[in-house]
Amino acid sequence: MNGTIEQLKADVLVVGAGIAGLQTSLDLADQGNRVLLVERQPSIGGRMINLSKVFPTLDCASCITTPRMASVAHHSSIDLYTYTEVDRIEREKGKFRAYLTKKPRYIEEELCIGCKRCEEACTTYLPDEYDHGLGGKKAISIPFTNAIPQYPVMDMDNCLLCGSCAKACPTQCINFLQEPKTFEVEAGAVIMTTGYNLTELSAKKQYGGTKYPNVISPLQMERLLAPHGPYGGVMRPSDGKIPSSIAFVQCAGSRDKSLGVPYCSRVCCMYAIKQAMLLSGSLPIADITIYYMDIRAFGKGYEQFYQNAKAMGIEFVKAKVGRISEDSEHNPILRIERQEDVAQPEEVTHDLVVLSLGMVPAWVPDRDGIIPLETDTDGFIRSMNEKITPSLTSLSGVFAAGTITGPKDIVDTILEAGAAATEAANYLRGQEVR
Amino acid sequence: MEKQDNLDNINQPEEVRVGVYVCHCGGNISDVVDTKAVVEAASKHPNVKIARDYVFMCSDPGQKLIIDDIRENNINRVVVSACSPTLHETTFRKALRRAELNPYLYEHINIREQDSWVHKGDHEGATAKAIRLTMAGVEKIARQDPLEPIVVNAEGHVVVIGAGVAGMRAALALSRRGLGVTLIEKSAQMGGRTRELDTVYPTEEKAADIIAQLEKAVRDAKVDVRLNSEVEAIEGFIGNFEILIKSADSKTAKARAGAIIMATGFNHYVPYEGEFGYRQSPEVLTLPEFNKLLTELPPSQKLTYKGREIRSIGFIHCVGSRQTEGIHQPQPDGKVNDYCSRVCCTSALHTIHRTLDRFPDLHIYDLYKDIRTYGRGHEDYYERASKRGVLFFRYTDDGLPVFTPPQKDKTATLTVKDVLTWNEEVTIPVDMVVLVTGMMPRNIANLITMLKLPIGADRFLQEVHPKLRPVELANNGILVAGTCQGPMDITECSSAAGAAAAKVSILLSKDTIEMDPFVARVDTARCDGCQLCLAECEYKGALTMAENRAKVNPALCAGCGSCVAVCPTRAINVAGWTLDQFDAMIDAIGAEETESELVPA
Amino acid sequence: MSGQNNNTKILLITTMISSYPGANTVGQARLQYSPGTYIIRVPDPVVFPESFYMRCFEKGIDGIIIMSSGSDCPYEGAYRRLSERVGRVYNRMKESGIDPSCLKLTTICTVCKAAFLKEINEMQANVIKARSTQKESAA
Repeated sequence: MNGTIEQLKADVLVVGAGIAGLQTSLDLADQGNRVLLVERQPSIGGRMINLSKVFPTLDCASCITTPRMASVAHHSSIDLYTYTEVDRIEREKGKFRAYLTKKPRYIEEELCIGCKRCEEACTTYLPDEYDHGLGGKKAISIPFTNAIPQYPVMDMDNCLLCGSCAKACPTQCINFLQEPKTFEVEAGAVIMTTGYNLTELSAKKQYGGTKYPNVISPLQMERLLAPHGPYGGVMRPSDGKIPSSIAFVQCAGSRDKSLGVPYCSRVCCMYAIKQAMLLSGSLPIADITIYYMDIRAFGKGYEQFYQNAKAMGIEFVKAKVGRISEDSEHNPILRIERQEDVAQPEEVTHDLVVLSLGMVPAWVPDRDGIIPLETDTDGFIRSMNEKITPSLTSLSGVFAAGTITGPKDIVDTILEAGAAATEAANYLRGQEVR
Repeated sequence: MEKQDNLDNINQPEEVRVGVYVCHCGGNISDVVDTKAVVEAASKHPNVKIARDYVFMCSDPGQKLIIDDIRENNINRVVVSACSPTLHETTFRKALRRAELNPYLYEHINIREQDSWVHKGDHEGATAKAIRLTMAGVEKIARQDPLEPIVVNAEGHVVVIGAGVAGMRAALALSRRGLGVTLIEKSAQMGGRTRELDTVYPTEEKAADIIAQLEKAVRDAKVDVRLNSEVEAIEGFIGNFEILIKSADSKTAKARAGAIIMATGFNHYVPYEGEFGYRQSPEVLTLPEFNKLLTELPPSQKLTYKGREIRSIGFIHCVGSRQTEGIHQPQPDGKVNDYCSRVCCTSALHTIHRTLDRFPDLHIYDLYKDIRTYGRGHEDYYERASKRGVLFFRYTDDGLPVFTPPQKDKTATLTVKDVLTWNEEVTIPVDMVVLVTGMMPRNIANLITMLKLPIGADRFLQEVHPKLRPVELANNGILVAGTCQGPMDITECSSAAGAAAAKVSILLSKDTIEMDPFVARVDTARCDGCQLCLAECEYKGALTMAENRAKVNPALCAGCGSCVAVCPTRAINVAGWTLDQFDAMIDAIGAEETESELVPA
Repeated sequence: MSGQNNNTKILLITTMISSYPGANTVGQARLQYSPGTYIIRVPDPVVFPESFYMRCFEKGIDGIIIMSSGSDCPYEGAYRRLSERVGRVYNRMKESGIDPSCLKLTTICTVCKAAFLKEINEMQANVIKARSTQKESAA
C-alpha cells in the first residue's frame, strides 16, 4: 500500500445504496450533479434486491431494482464505492469531508471477469447471509446472482488459505494480502440513506427466540419465495417438508413497548399479505393464517390487495399471540387469544410460522458514530421540518431519505429519495429550505 | 429531424447481424420455456449470428453479454426475449447505447408475462410460442434502420396547477432550482385543504403557520402566483406547453411551460342524505365539519351545538372509504370507494384529542374497522386515546353501525355489532355523530378531458408505475404531486412534490429534450402526392404537403398511424412500426412449427 | 405439439397504453390460457389497412382479436376510423369465404383480466367452429 490517501470530489455524497440511495443518486446525477455513492455491502440494491416480489403490483423485486442498479453502475456522473465503510464525515466551511475505507475483497477488481471459477474451486461452505442463513455459500463467492458489481468476496475469517481459488482463477486476480484502502471525499452535500434492520427474531422471549427452526423471519420467507431462493421452493428449515399450514404473527416486532418498539412498522401488514398470497399461489392447498391486531393496508391499491387476499381464502384472525412453543416434530404451537368471537385462549399448531418483525434504523448516530445527526425518541433520524421538508436533518447540508427517517414502504421511500435529491440540489445552489 | 425523412429504405449498406438473448429470469421463464430450444431455433435464422440464454439478462453481466457481442462480434441488431418491455426495454436500449449501437436497433420480446407465466402447464406450447415470438422479433429488427431521437426545445418554465401544500412545495423547489414557475390556484388563497385544519398531526404545528411559512417562501422565491384562476386551455407538448389561464374576472393570460405539475388535490367524501343520518339529523357531522366547529367555537366549559350541550360523541371511521360493492351505495359512476383514505384514522384520533383537551369530560366512542395509525408518531394518538377513556368498537361490513335519531325523550344512538366483544350488539347513546369521511379526487374532468390524463379505478390520477415512475403520468411532460394521485398526508404530499420537482429538474436541466422517434415518416420516393393521408390526420400541423409530397412535423405527430393505413403505396409509416415489419412478423408467427419451416427462405 | 387448442393460432393486436399492459396484468395474476395466442403491440391498430388482416388469414392466422383502447384511446379519431375499417374487413372476409367470427374488435383495459380470457376462449371456440363448418362444406 502506498501511504497517500486518495482524494475524491463530489457534489453530493450519498451513504447507502439501497433503493433510496439508488433513486436519490439517479435523480441528482440526471440533473447534472456529480454523485459519490458509498455502500458498505459488496453489492448495491439494499434490502429490496433480495425480496421476492413487491406489493401491491406483485412485480418481482429484482425487475424493479436491477434497472436502477445498472443505471447507477453505468452513470457517467455517479462514482460508486461498494464494500466501503464511511468512517466519519466532518463539516468544514460549508463543505463536507468524508473518510472512507474500502474493505479488501481479496481480489483485484480491475482483473476480475466475474467468471465464478474461484467460487467453483473453493471447498469451504458457509451460511449465506443473503439467504439469511437458509442456504450455503462458498468462502469466496459473488454475493448473489444479480449482484452489482459482479465481484466475488473472500471471507478471510473462514478461508483455509488452500489456494484452490487462486489456481482456478484465469486472470490471477486473487490477492490474499490485499489491504483496506482509504479515501478522502470532499462533497458539497450529504444524503444519508442507510436503511433499516429488522427487529431481532429472538427479541420476544415468549416467541422462543431462535430456538425453533420453523419460526422464521419475513426476510427468510422472502428468500424461500424467491424464484432463485435457497431451496428452490417453499420448504421448512427443520426437515425440508413442504408446509401445509403457515401462520404469520403480526406486530411481532412492533407496537410493543416491551421490545422498545412502540411504533407501527408500517410495512408488515402488507408484506405478510403479499407473502401469504405468494404462498397460496405456490402451495394452493396450504392453509394460511394471519394473526393480526389491525390490518394497515393504507397505501394506494393496498386495501384492494388486502381484499383480494381475503377473497383468495387467506384467513385473517384478530388475535394476540401470547406464546410460541413447539412439538416434538418442530411444529410451532401458537397460544392465541382471539379478539373476536370466542375469547378463550387456545393453542393452534402450524407447520411454519413467520414472525412479522418490525423495522429499526440500521445506522444509529450515537451508537455508530460517522456524523452526529439528531434522532427522535423512536431512534430514527429526526426531521427538522417534517411537514414541509421531511428530508431535512439537524445538520445543514445533510439530508435523509427512506427508512432512515422511520419505517416506510418502497413507494414512499422512492418519493422521499426524489425529494431529498431536490433539496440537496437546491442546497448546492445556496437555496436550502429550512 | 429533417434528415430522417429519407432514411426509410431497407437497403442497409451493412450486413444485418442479429444477436438473440433469451432470459431465464431466474427460473421465472426457464422453468416453463425451454430457453435452450429458443436459442437453438433462433440461431438457425440466416441473420442471427449469435444466440444466447442467461439467468438474468437485465443484470449487469447479462447486459455485458450484449455489449461485448456488439463490440467484439459486430452484432448490429439485438433481440432480447425476457419480461415485459415495460420493465426493461429502456434498460437494454441504454445497453446498446453504451456499446455505441443505435438504441432503436433493439426489439424486446415478452416471454414472461405473456408466455411462461400464463402457460405454466404447457411447456411445449409455451416454448413454441417463445420461438415464434422471438423469430418475429428477429424479422422485425432485421427490417429496422437506426432512429434518432426527436429533439425539442425545453422551455425553462413550469406550470403548477393547484396551490395546496403539494403545489406550493413543488413550485418553491422548482423556483429555487432556477426555473420560472407559474402557480395556478382556483380559489382566492394558497394553502388548499390544509387551510381547513387547526393543528396538524404529529407535529402539532398550527396549519396556518405551515401555510404562512410556505406562502412567504413561495412569494420570496418569485413564483408567479395566479389566484382566482383556472386553466382554460392547454396546447403543445413536452418542453413546449402553452397554457391559457383565465382569472375569475375573465382576464386571460398565457404561460409557456416545459412541464406541468398536477397538484389539484382532493375533495372530502360527502355522505349521501341519510348515510348514518347525515343531512337528516343535525347532530350528524362529517369530520371536516366537526373540525371547523371545534376551531370556531369560542372558549367555553361546555361543548354546545345548536343550543344543546354535547356530552358524548360517536366517531364512525371509513365513511366513504374501504367500501364494498353490494353493501355501500355507489357513486354516480357506479363504483364504490374501495380504497383506504389513509389519513382519516390518525386525523380522527387527532381531532378526538383536540376535543378532549378542551372538554375532558366528554364521552367518546370510536367505531372503526382497523385503526391505521401507521405513520411516524401516529400510534401515540391511538394509545393515548385509550388511556383517556375513548371506547373503541370494531365493526365489519357484515354489521355496519346504525344511527337512530333522537326521539322525544331519548338521545340519538349508534348501534354496532362489536366484533371485539363476541359480536354483541351494543347501543350507544350519543349527542353527536362524527363521520370520518375519506378522500376523493377533486373534480378536474375538464383537465382530464383536455389532456387525456390517465385515471385509475379509484378515479385518482394514475401514475405510470408506483415504483418505477411514481410521479409521472403517461402524458409526457405532465407530472403529478399530492392527493390528486391518491390519499396522502401533508408530509407525504411534500415528499411527492419534491420527487415531482426532481423529475422536472431533470427534464428541464438542458435547453432541449430528447424524445422517442416513433412518429410518421414519408418515403418521398414512394409518395405519389395523392393526399389521402392528409384527410386522416387529426393533429393540426402534423401532416402537410410540400413539393407535392406528404410532409410530417415530428414534434406534432402523435404517431397514431391513421395515415399509414390509407396510403396506397406504403410511402408513409410510423418509424419503428412499419407495415413491412408487421408483415414479416406475421410470417414468423404463422410459420409451421418445424424448425426448417421456421427459417424463411 | 401439446394441447388440443394449440393448433389454433390467434393473433392478439394490442395497444401500448391499454391492452398490452392488460395482457401483462393477466400474466401477473398467473391466469392461464392457451399458448396458441400471439400478442403483438402497436401504438394503435388504426395503422393496419384492410389488406393486413386478409394477409394474416392467408399466412396461417386462424383468428384475430383487435384489443383496442376504446374510449381510453389516446389518439384523436383513431377508434372511429378503426371500427369503420374493421367493418370493411368483414366484407372482404365474407367475399373470401372466411367466417367473420374469426375477427373481433374489442376493448381491453390494463386490468381487464376476465374480459381478456373470455375473448380468447370465445375466439378459440369460433375458430374451431369455423374450421369444422369449412370442412363440412368442403366435404
